[in-house]
Amino acid sequence: MHIAEGFLPPAHAIAWGVASAPFVVHGVRSLTREVREHPESTLLLGASGAFTFVLSALKLPSVTGSCSHPTGTGLGAILFRPPIMAVLGTITLLFQALLLAHGGLTTLGANVFSMAIVGPWAGYAVYRLLRRYDVPLMVAVFFGAFVADLSTYCVTSVQLALAFPDPSSGFLGALGKFGSIFAVTQIPLAVSEGLLTVLVMRLLSQSSKGELIRLGVLAAGKRAATGTEAVAR
Amino acid sequence: MLPIDAAAHSSRWRHRHPVDKAVLGLGLTVLAISLPPWPGAALVLATALVVLLGPAGVPARRLWRAYRVPLGFCVTGALTLLVQVGGPDGFVAPAPDGPVRAGELLLRTSAASLGVLLFAFTTPMSDLLPRLVKAGVPAPVVDVALVTYRMSFLLLDSMRRIREAQAARLGHTGRAAEWRSLAGLGATAFVRAFDRAARLQDGLAGRGYDGTLRVLVPEARVSARFTAAAVLLLATVAALTFVLERPLS
Repeated sequence: MHIAEGFLPPAHAIAWGVASAPFVVHGVRSLTREVREHPESTLLLGASGAFTFVLSALKLPSVTGSCSHPTGTGLGAILFRPPIMAVLGTITLLFQALLLAHGGLTTLGANVFSMAIVGPWAGYAVYRLLRRYDVPLMVAVFFGAFVADLSTYCVTSVQLALAFPDPSSGFLGALGKFGSIFAVTQIPLAVSEGLLTVLVMRLLSQSSKGELIRLGVLAAGKRAATGTEAVAR
Repeated sequence: MLPIDAAAHSSRWRHRHPVDKAVLGLGLTVLAISLPPWPGAALVLATALVVLLGPAGVPARRLWRAYRVPLGFCVTGALTLLVQVGGPDGFVAPAPDGPVRAGELLLRTSAASLGVLLFAFTTPMSDLLPRLVKAGVPAPVVDVALVTYRMSFLLLDSMRRIREAQAARLGHTGRAAEWRSLAGLGATAFVRAFDRAARLQDGLAGRGYDGTLRVLVPEARVSARFTAAAVLLLATVAALTFVLERPLS
């Protein structure tokens, strides 16, 4: 669920755009450097973007019985790393705004901040932390995807509460209202996305072990550096 | 191909330069969020609807199908403005100016969404993306976006066919089967995306790929007449808003 076109007042829309800009610029610089050094990475990065876009179009059965779409931010961050996800997420959100009328151009900055920056970074941080303490890969993947999904919607609730404070209780009251709609209801969906991500990762570790090793997700012996490996950086 | 992009390819304004359509469509969106919701956003909404269904020739049913997506979010978000939390009237009570704020928000978002839809329904992504380089977006980012765009359709088509095959093999009959099928779908998307990238790379390498994806962009010139008319229309909407604001408030 992205913030729809025109939902945020102009000042908020600009402020979130400014907040997102450094992360996106950093991602663009990494991507540009990578593509200049390894031209073949363009195709792999494009494939990664298409994968992220398609992932967000899958219908996800919730554990409560409802239906939604995965954000794909957790899986994307684990596979491609957060700086690259900032760019791929921005491209995906732009496509969703123009091709699916999902999200918007004036709210692109706010949506990028929640879905392409905070979600991937939070999910990736939890994933890395758990892996550092030798937590099994699939457990770390579950919590990474769960936190990425939930943090995305928590940030969306904060963005909406800042824009529309409650007339009586101000920001906190509004956070409670928007949180109960966009974040609390997301908990079962975040569990669903975590489970789906684990299942996808299990299948990938069987069918595409080589790619996961090159992306740095699975441990491997010494292998020659490739464009994909550089993408992972 | 996705419905909005398919409509854009067969739009009456397909061969107009994206700048022409951006001035009009995105100009209406900017007006919608910057003018007072009443009567500004209402005027923008009416103008956008007239342009979309009239000169731009967007079919009403297609427009509604695309429009109801943002509308769902707007209605859900606007509902929260109807109540206040922790006031003297109880923990949750109706907000005194809730209906007005919710109505204004709905007007603003509806009008702004139509402005973007006007641009999206008349401008194919394949016309827009290559021109972003001239707007200052780094060429490698545009190349990645182009590959993403073109590969998305192939992947979506693959996903649809795999889903049909899964359904034919009773892959959606139970909850466990549904999850297994969904995981298979996600994993297959990854495998196919990377497989296609590798094959594209091989094909391009054989054609002397130097890191730049050269694509044909349809010739189009910015129309001074169209742009001037769009600016005039936007100025008229803004002026009408300020004239009508006091009498209608």
